[in-house]
Amino acid sequence: MTKQHANWSPYDNNGGSCVAIAGADYCVIAADTRMSTGYNILTRDYSKISQLADKSVMASSGFQADVKALQKVLSARHLIYQHQHNKQMSCPAMAQLLSNTLYYKRFFPYYAFNVLGGLDSEGKGCVFTYDAVGSYERVGYSSQGSGSTLIMPFLDNQLKSPSPLLLPAKDAVTPLSEAEAVDLVKTVFASATERDIYTGDKVEIVILNASGIRREYMDLRKD
Amino acid sequence: MSIFEYNGSAVVAMVGKNCFAIASDRRLGVQLQTIATDFQRISKIHDKLFIALSGLATDAQTLYQRLVFRHKLYQLREERDMKPETFASLVSALLYEKRFGPYFCQPVIAGLGDEDKPFICTMDCIGAKELAKDFVVSGTASESLYGACEAMFKPDMEPEDLFETISQALLASVDRDCLSGWGGHVYLV
Repeated sequence: MTKQHANWSPYDNNGGSCVAIAGADYCVIAADTRMSTGYNILTRDYSKISQLADKSVMASSGFQADVKALQKVLSARHLIYQHQHNKQMSCPAMAQLLSNTLYYKRFFPYYAFNVLGGLDSEGKGCVFTYDAVGSYERVGYSSQGSGSTLIMPFLDNQLKSPSPLLLPAKDAVTPLSEAEAVDLVKTVFASATERDIYTGDKVEIVILNASGIRREYMDLRKD
Repeated sequence: MSIFEYNGSAVVAMVGKNCFAIASDRRLGVQLQTIATDFQRISKIHDKLFIALSGLATDAQTLYQRLVFRHKLYQLREERDMKPETFASLVSALLYEKRFGPYFCQPVIAGLGDEDKPFICTMDCIGAKELAKDFVVSGTASESLYGACEAMFKPDMEPEDLFETISQALLASVDRDCLSGWGGHVYLV
């Protein structure tokens, strides 16, 4: 008798794209606000971005129920950390926590594709990119989600991150100014919206820098 | 692995001001092994008409031979070159003939029509034409190419600009696709 397979799946893909770019003293994290299932739109106004700590912001695409659960777990763990250490978690520490949390469910994963952005302990921008089971890497920029295959080559072309294998190690952060990086993000989402059906409606852009956190919205095509 | 991903390919064509550019990568692979790094995917039909075939390389070569044959016959009978629109319909018809046992290729056609007006189009493997005014893409790197071209394209570019744009778009896109790469061929007419 051939192995019986389930006639339902615990997962769904709610679509969407996320991007993060690290600068010398800022970090830009952006995600579209469309939540869909199959060919239908559930809402045009759903935030995929969550602030996990003072200087850590996570954008996640994929299955939003798993994303919501993941955000709750990380929030709770951060609260415990604050009680135990009397300080906020640094972004690299949060990056490791996210990786461990994802791998904890290695055999029934969170269907979440994350980019974590923030400022490291020196105030420099940092971006960490993840797969669904917690494999992560610190990079200068990244994108995840349905539009990532459309967005990544263009970011490569514009931001020209040096290879992490070079010696001496070159800085991964982009020399672009904050305003230029935000403009680049807007361009990238406008292009992705044209060709990816799951990306659109609005893009939510979060900018983290020494003065704090700022939020911007831009309208995208609604079709 | 899908049959379309057996050899790996990336093809893009763009329209400029009274000119067009068609570009492809140069890798020929057998699944994950690279066999050639100088494979020609773009072929000339006549001076103002080029076709690039992405997908299975053997079908691309066979289809190209059939198309050259048909075009040569056309030249003998009509004593002139085929217009790009006509050629596109020919390719579409040839592909649909094999509707239930198709050629595993996706052609990209680029040419200059009447009064040197640029024409580009692409098709799926059974001949469904997609005419575009800006750019068309095909191959394993097609999603990356869509993103890169959408962001970099401007209408009515001069030939030098168009060359730069299509090259950058191709290079950036194939760098994110392991089945295509090893440089590019660009034809600018």
